[in-house]
Formats: sequence, C-alpha cells, structure tokens
Amino acid sequence: MAVVGAGIVGMSAAHFLSRAGWQVTVYDAGVVASGATGSADGAVSVASKKPGPLMTLAVAAVKFYEQLVATGILVDEYLPRSTFVVASDHEELAVLERHAGELEAAGVPIRMLKGAALMAVIGAAAPTAIAAAEVQREGHAVGYRVVERLRQLGGFAIRRNCRVSGFESSNGCITGVMTEQGTEPADAVLLATGIGSMHFLAESGLIRPRKGQLIVTDRAGADSPHFPGPLMSCRYLVSKGSQPADSAVASRSLGLVIDPLRTGQFLIGGSREDRDDRETADADVVATLLRDAVALSPSLAQLRIIRVFSGLRAATRDGMPIVGHVGGAENLWIATGFEGDGICLGPMIGRLCQQMICGESPEQDISALDAARFGLTLAAAA
Amino acid sequence: MSSPEVLVIGGGPAGVSAALELARAGIDVTLCEQGPRLGGAIHRQPDDPTQSVRVPRSHKQRWQAMSDELAASTVKVLCRHMFAGIEATGAVLLEDRIHGRLVTRRPAALVLAMGAIERVAPVPGWHLPGVVTVGGLQVMMKSTGRAPDGDVLIAGSGPLLVALAAQMASLGNAPVAVLERSTRLMSVSVIASLLRAPAYLWEAAGYLLTLARSGILPRRGAFVTAIAPRDGRLSVTTLDRHGRERQMLVDRVALHDGLLPNSNGTMAGQHGPFIVRAGDCREVLGGTAALADGRLAAHAVLAQIGKAVRATKVPAAILARERQAQAALNTLFDYSGRDPAQLPDETIICRCEGRTLGQLRSMLSGDDPVSAREIKLNGRFGMGACQGRFCAEWVASFVASQRADGSPPQASEIVGSRWPVKPVPIAAFVTLPPSHPSE
Ligand SMILES: Cc1cc2nc3c(=O)[nH]c(=O)nc-3n(C[C@H](O)[C@H](O)[C@H](O)COP(=O)(O)OP(=O)(O)OC[C@H]3O[C@@H](n4cnc5c(N)ncnc54)[C@H](O)[C@@H]3O)c2cc1C
Ligand SMILES: Cc1cc2nc3c(=O)[nH]c(=O)nc-3n(C[C@H](O)[C@H](O)[C@H](O)COP(=O)(O)OP(=O)(O)OC[C@H]3O[C@@H](n4cnc5c(N)ncnc54)[C@H](O)[C@@H]3O)c2cc1C
Repeated sequence: MAVVGAGIVGMSAAHFLSRAGWQVTVYDAGVVASGATGSADGAVSVASKKPGPLMTLAVAAVKFYEQLVATGILVDEYLPRSTFVVASDHEELAVLERHAGELEAAGVPIRMLKGAALMAVIGAAAPTAIAAAEVQREGHAVGYRVVERLRQLGGFAIRRNCRVSGFESSNGCITGVMTEQGTEPADAVLLATGIGSMHFLAESGLIRPRKGQLIVTDRAGADSPHFPGPLMSCRYLVSKGSQPADSAVASRSLGLVIDPLRTGQFLIGGSREDRDDRETADADVVATLLRDAVALSPSLAQLRIIRVFSGLRAATRDGMPIVGHVGGAENLWIATGFEGDGICLGPMIGRLCQQMICGESPEQDISALDAARFGLTLAAAA
Repeated sequence: MSSPEVLVIGGGPAGVSAALELARAGIDVTLCEQGPRLGGAIHRQPDDPTQSVRVPRSHKQRWQAMSDELAASTVKVLCRHMFAGIEATGAVLLEDRIHGRLVTRRPAALVLAMGAIERVAPVPGWHLPGVVTVGGLQVMMKSTGRAPDGDVLIAGSGPLLVALAAQMASLGNAPVAVLERSTRLMSVSVIASLLRAPAYLWEAAGYLLTLARSGILPRRGAFVTAIAPRDGRLSVTTLDRHGRERQMLVDRVALHDGLLPNSNGTMAGQHGPFIVRAGDCREVLGGTAALADGRLAAHAVLAQIGKAVRATKVPAAILARERQAQAALNTLFDYSGRDPAQLPDETIICRCEGRTLGQLRSMLSGDDPVSAREIKLNGRFGMGACQGRFCAEWVASFVASQRADGSPPQASEIVGSRWPVKPVPIAAFVTLPPSHPSE
C-alpha cells in the first residue's frame, strides 16, 4: 500500500491500514507534516462547522479523538475543552443564536452566557462582549504532534523528500508509484496530498489554495486574565461560510480565533485568503488580526508576538472534502480538500479510508464527500 | 524624483561607516539602532557619561571622529528603533520604542549591520540565573561604568575573556579566575600574521599586563563541566588540563565560546529592498574590518541604485588583512565547547523552552531519519522566544555529528526566515495604520 502525503490524513490512514495488515509506505515530497498539518491551529471543533454532513462528521470526529485517547493511541495529545463564540454587537448576536440552535440540533451541548455569567466564565473577554455561546465537549490537538505520535507508534515506513510524480499501471490497475528515486511496486494507492492533489487529477481548478496567517505570542504571566478555552469572534463564522453572509459583518475576510495553548502562549488567527504564497506574512493582515484580538480581549496587548507563520488550506469548489475512489484505476483512492477542518477530521478520515480500502462499510456516512460527485479521474500525466 | 532612501540597521562601527559613506555620496540615509545610543559592541557608550570604562585610546579616538562626522552629516539617526523584519509586501518593519509603535518603511536598499551574536556551548547549569555571557557582562559594564559585584568566574574561549577580565580589574573587581579552554600556542606564522595588524597584539598585551598586576593569569586548558545552585550562589565544577577536578563557589559565571554573524534569517523577498550585510553581521572580523566593510556595503548599494562609486581599493585591502589576522587569532582559541558525548542527558539545550539533550538524543534514536523541521516542531528546539537564534547552530551540528548519511540539517532550517526577527509588543503592532483602509 502506497500512501502519498505524510500529513495528518495520510499518516492516520497509514496507521490504520498497517494495523489492518497492509504493508504500508508513506511517501512525502517534503518531510513529515510539512504541508498544512505543520502550519495549522488545532481546533478539534464543531463550533465553526457548516450545518449538514460536515457538522455531523465533526461531532463524530471529536468522539473519535476521545476514543483514540481512551485506547492509548493519542494519550496527552488531545486536550478536551470548550470553545467560546463571542458576539460583540446585535448583528453578531443574531448570527450566534441561529448557529447555536443548529449546533444543538446536531447534538452538541451549548451554554449561552450573558452579562455577569459571561464575565465570570471568560475573565479575559472585553467588556464590549454582549454574549457568548460555550460549545462544550470539544478539544485541541496539535497536527504535527498527532502525526509524530503516529510515527512513533510505527508499523509503516516513511520516505521523506520523495515526491511521487505518477503511477505505473496495467489493465486499469496501478502496479507501481513513480518517484524521484525510482519506481516502486504498489498494490493500492491512497492520495492524501492536500493542496498537491491537483497534480494527479484530470479536473482543473477543483482544489484551490486558501492561505491562512497565524500569529504566535510569548507566554502570558500567571496573573493574566482567564481564558477557559479559545475565543472565537462571531465574525469567524461568517468568514468561514458556516452561516450565510447576509449582514454588514460579512465583508470581512479575517476570522478571529484566540487560542490559548498549553505552553501559556496564544495562537491568534487566521486569515482566509485566496492566494498561495505560503512562505510570507504581511503586516497589514497581522495588524488587523491583532487589533481585532485586542478588541475581543484587551489583556493580549501586554504580550509580544514571537512569530507569524502561514499555511495553505486545500479548498474544494463546493467547500466539502473529497474522499473516495478515483476513476481510471481500480486501486486508487483519494482523501483531500479538508480546508480548515483537517486536524479535526483527519484521524477519523484515516480510519474511514482504511475501512473503505479494505472493502468494509465505513462506520460513518461519507457519501456526501464521495469523489464521484466530481467524477474524478486520474490525470493523463500521472 | 526625490533621491531613494537607504536604511541602515545597527549603530555599531559597520552601520555608522556605511551610513557616512552613503551620505558622502549624497544619499538620503536613515540609521536605526535598537539601543538608546550608537556605538555597537565595541564603542558602547555609558548611560552616564561621567562613569565610563577605560578603553584603548585608539578606540576612543576612532569613535570620536566618527561621531563628529555623523553629527555634521545629513544622516538621520533613529535610536530605540528595532528592525523587526521584512514583511510580504516588502515593507521594512521598525519597532519605534520611543513611542511604542510599529512603523514601516520602503527603502530602496537596506544595509544590515546588526553585529554578532555570542556563542555559548551548553554545559549543565548554564541556564541558571547568575550565568551570563562574557559580552553581555561587558556591555552591562560599559553601560553602567561599574564592574559587576561579587565573585565572578570567566570561562570559555576567545580574546573577549581577557578583555572583560582586564576591564573588570581596572574598575576594581577582578574576576576570581579566567579559564581559557584552549591550550594552543602562538606559532611563528601566527605571530607574522598578527604583526600585520599589530593593534591586536598591543590590545592583548595591555589586557594581560593589567591582569598580571591583579595577580590573575588565565588558566589555559581549563573549563567548566557543571554549574549548580548552592546557598544562593553558584557552585562550579571545573577540570584543568591535567584532568584535575575543582569546585568553586561564585556569584556569577560569564561564559563565551566565540561569535557568529547575527544573520537572524532575514532574506531578500520578492518585493523587498536590495539587501547588503556589513560588519560582524556578515563575517565576524572585528571593529577595524567593520569600518571597511561598512564602506564596501555602501559601495554595493551605490552601484545597485546607479550612483557612481569612487574607485578605491583601500577598504577591500583592509578587509583582506583583517581576515588574515582573525584567522590567525582564531587558531589560538578553541570554540568547540564541551564534547557533547560528555554532557549528561539533563543538560538544557534550548533555554527558552527548557529542552534537554536527553530529549534531543531520544528524537534521534531509531532508524527513521527525522528532519530538522520535525526536530524543531516536536522537540520544540528553536520554538521559544529567541526562535533558535541561540541553540539552532549547536542543535544542527549535534544532529550532523549523529548522522552518517551525509544529510546534515542546517541551522537555518531551525531558525527559518520568518518575521519578526525579535519579539514585538502587540501594543506596538496594533498602532500600524491599515495600508488599505477596510471598506
Ligand atoms: C492557518 C491554518 C489553520 C488551520 N487551523 C485548523 C484548525 O484549527 N482545525 C482543523 O481541524 N484544521 C485546521 N486547518 C486545516 C488543516 O491544517 C488541514 O485541513 C489538514 O492539515 C490537512 O491535512 P492533509 O493531510 O490533508 O494535508 P497536508 O498536511 O497538506 O499533507 C499533504 C502532504 O502531501 C505531500 N505531497 C503533496 N504532493 C505530493 C507528491 N506529489 N508526492 C509526495 N508527497 C506529496 C505534502 O508534502 C504534504 O506533506 C488549518 C489550516 C491552516 C493553513
Ligand atoms: C558583546 C561583544 C563585545 C565585544 N567587545 C569587543 C571589545 O572589547 N574589543 C574588540 O575589539 N571587539 C569587541 N567585540 C567585537 C566587535 O563585535 C567588533 O569589533 C565590532 O563591534 C563589530 O562592529 P559591527 O558594527 O559589525 O557590530 P556591532 O558593534 O555589534 O553593532 C551592531 C549594532 O546593531 C544593533 N542591532 C542589532 N540588532 C538590531 C536590530 N534588530 N535593530 C536595530 N539595531 C540592531 C546593536 O544594538 C548594535 O548596536 C565585541 C563583540 C561583542 C558581540
């Protein structure tokens, strides 16, 4: 079994496939977690998901993380916590209340906080916050740490700096992967190549890079105000498209999450920009994010930023991931297009890929993600 | 069309020299220094002018001449302005520490003259309070005009050790001992090279004489093996060249294992200004070379923006001579530090994140060739406030020493090239006016 891509999706799939008896090799053009997985925040969260199949899958993905902790696979790498979605004006409150209702309908426990209760729970919130929804029972996992844990558990081989350029096939079946270091035999292939997936597909423009910039701060002092969990500006829901953009706040392209890390640092982000210059960060976006962050939580002004980094999300045309079989070869599967949700969904998707490839019926309904909706076929060049 | 602006970062000899040379050619120059005064490492000026540290007269005269020319020049000087990096659209970010704000500039060219960073090779206990760098202590002394109090031990390798010791002695508190790791001796060829730049010999002779008067002789071949807290002081274990172990109880330990260019990862971006490095920031060759290198950097800028350059071979010749002298000087010292094989697992490597050698070793055990990026992300080496500026070089060379596969990681893979190059207060950042006012 050749898994192409050592991000969270590919490494999770490799983990489960190797345990199902496959002899697995993971190929990556860079190193482990060098794609989106290594430059993401780690919200394992339902709070921002679009109602519908994605929200349902996210609920299952959170449970899956809990299961991985219980079975000893991700001990210490998953931190359960609530997410707090904060509304600062009445337009945002309307969006918040609608979204909270939908989350509850999907079975997510919600607590609405206002006035004194809000201040008591979220000491760090600005006095201008008028309401917050506490989205309970979700968590945080750092993508590159999850992947490192799976690497340490082992059971499969990793080939770094080994780009896959195409496949060797006979009679509609892939028989080998062609790499920079030569062709190696394969009985089946899973593409978990994130933004690099388009190289392998005949369709053009289906997956596009969506850049995100994230800010890392230094450690807050022990006397700084309390963050019970990440604070998300209600505007984030709008920029992420979870709620229809029908109000004045809609024109913003910067969603805001202030994420308190276990180290005492904060991650502040992130932008959603339709561009692909992943190595750079611009002062304008950073200053705007920081202004919004300080407006949401004034005590942040006492901290310093130590780094700004950016990553590229793989965004599909319809905003839904792609998981399934690729036309043109019998033994070729794909799992990509997770945009801003891959850390949350990744481990469970790895499991579902294994079930799909082993011919079992996946324990979650992933028909909405089926690659067949785009009629995906292998590119001639691959 | 107004003349293009050139920004020079760093107010040491290299930066001042570059700024002056550009101003002489009629260029609009701004010189930014993060500290309160110009001077850099070697010409650091005291906070209180009546409290100054004795420095060689030639140094004093040289700096006076530069200050005078600067005062009469068109160079705009911005002290307390820290260069924070170059962002995606090519703007240079400056933290204005006077007003607590962030400002941007779009110069045609940027001269980086940010000096050197001090290298300290890890030993157990080097992260404890009271353990400082030799250069850091010297800068503090030059700023306050006073020797640090208490019992001070100086250890490591390099000419800076005796310089600090002598300056402390002149100010009335000689160190309790100077441990110079190297046992290497002057050879005829080294002396010959140094005679071509005799200032070093004179300077060294002066320092050694001062020390001898205080009854201190550097103990060659001796080094620190461990530092531990004891009764509010520091208990230091040392080994001498005969393998004899000794314990000392002191208040401070000053360590130093050479200098490295302070490159801080800044690279020319697609949209950014033309960049030239000068002085120790490009190549650590000392003060005299820094002056010449500043002029050369200015010439490179002038050539780039299409201004005529007066033909002169003088700065290049000075640089060549100083390079030879430094090379000769370096043969006398030993910057290797303690052999990593002798260091216990508990030795802290990344001081910002408190990561140990044992953790690094365990990441490298096993057959899987873990990459530099994975060591950084999962080991957290270089993930703290300094972003690897102090441990990346050591971590990279340690990893290389454990790898036979010929793919040693580079320190630059750990440091990266992202901004800010040093932490910037959020309070300053939020003052940046939006360049595209939001709709
Ligand atoms: C700024 C930012 C913040 C985010 N925050 C969150 C969050 O809070 N919560 C959340 O759930 N998600 C978040 N995400 C999204 C998440 O990071 C991604 O959805 C997820 O990492 C995708 O994982 P992946 O394995 O599909 O892709 P990747 O991690 O991109 O892995 C793909 C791998 O394939 C390799 N590859 C590509 N082409 C080839 C080839 N031809 N041959 C060999 N190898 C190849 C690449 O080198 C790469 O390593 C965020 C993303 C960004 C950018
Ligand atoms: C700690 C130390 C002590 C030294 N002592 C001696 C000595 O006693 N005798 C001797 O002969 N040589 C000494 N040297 C060698 C000395 O470095 C050179 O001789 C000479 O100072 C090099 O000049 P420079 O202009 O390249 O760098 P420096 O003199 O180091 O000047 C660099 C300047 O850049 C500024 N700077 C750095 N980063 C930024 C930033 N991001 N933004 C704005 N400004 C910035 C610094 O504050 C500094 O003023 C010492 C070096 C060091 C590091």
